Amino acid sequence: MARRPDVWRVLTEPLIRQNPVTLQILGICSALAVTTTMATALTMAVSLTVVLTLAAGIISSIRRHIPDSIRLIVQIVIVASLVIVIDQVLQAYLAEISRALSVYVGLITTNCLVLGRTEAYARHHPPLPAMVDAFGNGLGYSLVLLIVGGLRELFGKGELFGVVVLPLADAGGWFTPLSLMLLAPSAFFILGLLVWAIRSWWPEQAEAPEHVPPGRAEAAE
Amino acid sequence: MTRGLWTRETVAALMLAALMPLALFWLWTSGLAGAMGLTFAIVIIGVWHLVFMLVRAQPPSLSALITALAIAMLAPEELGVFRLALGVSFGVVMGELVFGGWGRNVVNPATVALAFLGFGFPSAPWPAFDAPIAWAAIPAAVLGAALGIMPFALIVAAASVAAAALMLGLLTEPVLFAAGIGLVLLVADPVTSAATGLGRVLNGALYTLFVVFFAAGWSGAAPVQITVASALLASLAAPLLDDIAIQVWVSRRRRRHGRA
Repeated sequence: MARRPDVWRVLTEPLIRQNPVTLQILGICSALAVTTTMATALTMAVSLTVVLTLAAGIISSIRRHIPDSIRLIVQIVIVASLVIVIDQVLQAYLAEISRALSVYVGLITTNCLVLGRTEAYARHHPPLPAMVDAFGNGLGYSLVLLIVGGLRELFGKGELFGVVVLPLADAGGWFTPLSLMLLAPSAFFILGLLVWAIRSWWPEQAEAPEHVPPGRAEAAE
Repeated sequence: MTRGLWTRETVAALMLAALMPLALFWLWTSGLAGAMGLTFAIVIIGVWHLVFMLVRAQPPSLSALITALAIAMLAPEELGVFRLALGVSFGVVMGELVFGGWGRNVVNPATVALAFLGFGFPSAPWPAFDAPIAWAAIPAAVLGAALGIMPFALIVAAASVAAAALMLGLLTEPVLFAAGIGLVLLVADPVTSAATGLGRVLNGALYTLFVVFFAAGWSGAAPVQITVASALLASLAAPLLDDIAIQVWVSRRRRRHGRA
């Protein structure tokens, strides 16, 4: 067996350096859809992290028994079962947020982030590192979701977690909300700016250019 | 003069010259408020051009003045300094400068800024234009087409569809005026409009069709709002129209000569 991978590194790598959303651009659909408020973003982030960690653990522990030809089916069945459990828990205890999240909890099943981690990592590693890796990726996803959700709620409503931070002009304050922030395009913009910022900070994350501009014809004098 | 006369800045300067009739007439009628709005937009855009020059070595362009003019003329009123600055910054940075500056942008930065302001602050009232200012758009279009800066085919196509719609009674006067000013300021842009002959015709026609369509079906929309939305959609469709034109050409060649 190969050298045990460094658990701390496996956990912290996906936070920024290998962040699943901003580097691998996985799990975008839900990241854009549920980030209108911090409460929904946090619930979604926790649900996904729990599902991802448990699924990675289960799949990793039976990784030697899953036939290769039907491995996707097995993985999806496991993930879907976990998602249904989470969905029921949310409906029971957080009914209002569950309604706000609508189909997106159910769509964790098909979230490419979950399938990507189970397919790429959990299938080849023992349960503990697999769960640590899944947890780290869940945290990386959560980080992006909370940043986007925080910005959108702060500038769209002047609140954080429903608590007034910037008093609105309608209610006697000074802040006029940007209603664009509550629309889906703003999540695209924020995510794009976030990716831009991260890739300017760590240029090695930037993709190689697809086209090379033609050389400029300098005057031959 | 080894590189010839036609640099990017020549195009920008001629574009500015073509827009002068419209700009001067608008400044004359709107007075101090208009001049202040224009100065404010120029300052904000200038700062961003300066930032991108220092950080990314992108040369600043005279086109900043064109963008500033379009934003100052068409932006919603009563926004206040902060929100206007936010919208202008968003449009100029995300619409133009991140792509590498004027000449490499996909959509007109003024269109992006106006659409951002319109969707972001839906309660702000849009400006309205009287007939004289709209008439001033005609010499601007003629000058631009004559100088070869604005696409002639696009303007003719847009005008013919507008004439047809007027005959059928589908366009009201305020919408027509706003659409004419929008055509000159936002749509007939040498960078972001279609680049092939057929593509330009389609682009102009599509713009006017969007205007007619929105005027008929978008209840409660201001004429300038209709114009900005149409300009945005038309400029997003421009690459597709160019591709259609090229495909038509390729398939005609193939039919004529038997192979690609």
